[in-house]
Amino acid sequence: MTREEIRSAVLEALAAVAPEADPASLDASAPLREQLDLDSMDFLNFVIGIHERTGAEIPEADYAKLASLEHAVAYVEARCAGGG
Amino acid sequence: MTREDVERAAAARAGTAVPAGIAAPAATAVPAAAPAAGDRRLAIRRAIAAAMERANREIPHYYLATSIDMSQALAWLEAENARRPLPERLLVAALLLRAVALAVADVPEMNGTWEGGALRASAEVHLGVAVSLRGGGLVAPAIRSAQAKDVGVIMRELRDLVRRARASGLRSSEMGTATLTVTNLGDAGADALFGVIHPPQVALVGFGRVAERPWATRGRVEARPVVGASLSADHRASDGHRGALFLAAIDRRLQRPEAL
Repeated sequence: MTREEIRSAVLEALAAVAPEADPASLDASAPLREQLDLDSMDFLNFVIGIHERTGAEIPEADYAKLASLEHAVAYVEARCAGGG
Repeated sequence: MTREDVERAAAARAGTAVPAGIAAPAATAVPAAAPAAGDRRLAIRRAIAAAMERANREIPHYYLATSIDMSQALAWLEAENARRPLPERLLVAALLLRAVALAVADVPEMNGTWEGGALRASAEVHLGVAVSLRGGGLVAPAIRSAQAKDVGVIMRELRDLVRRARASGLRSSEMGTATLTVTNLGDAGADALFGVIHPPQVALVGFGRVAERPWATRGRVEARPVVGASLSADHRASDGHRGALFLAAIDRRLQRPEAL
């Protein structure tokens, strides 16, 4: 997957839990949970959504590495490049 | 004028079924015809208002609180999640719900409804789960027969209920049928909450966030993850002593997470 494809997969996963969020007004480097008032269930669904769209395996210990949009894209990119 | 009148009026005006589990079962049969989000929000607000007014008018609440050490539960959860595939991983909320469902066996008068001046205890634990909606409001759909479902099943149903509640896709059969409700503020919330019982139920269990706190044990103080648990109960149906036993039963279950 290219970085752009990963980015749109992450945004799709986000839209599924926060449909009212406007990607254009999102601060890509700020924590998503605070920005979008996501609770732990929303965040879990966000992570599952990324997994379903990209195939990336994401251990629970790594959830914190997906805190912002920027971080989530970089994390998935690294996972995909590293073979999963 | 009865509460049902109020709810029907609210529903009619908003053009939708009263969507909250805290609303009367009688008002839940109207199929929702894709109402506008604003109308739905208004209908939910009115259903909450009607149910909460009735609760505070009719139910003599008493409140109890305790702090529960969550170290065992979280350690078990971490190990369990490390071996579960992502879509089957558990949240601490599922453990809390399961502990409440099991604790009912010890103090059954917390589970049921107040009808015609008497407690009608329920053999099944239909566990209402208060789900906050994005942008405000809440609904409380039920996990049916939670006493007979393991923690993995409870987690799956919880995920599904939350997802559909937030996407306004709940079925009327899931509403207004709970026998006991749990409100869990989650990790962004306050330390504890003291909830209002959803009539005609007779109790509500509230959980604040799990946070690290000083915990005195065997003459020493350690940092441990702790959750503030509370019980709001109907004094017509039970007394403080039984309520305290119920909270203790929840605590006991959470100290043995492998048995949840």
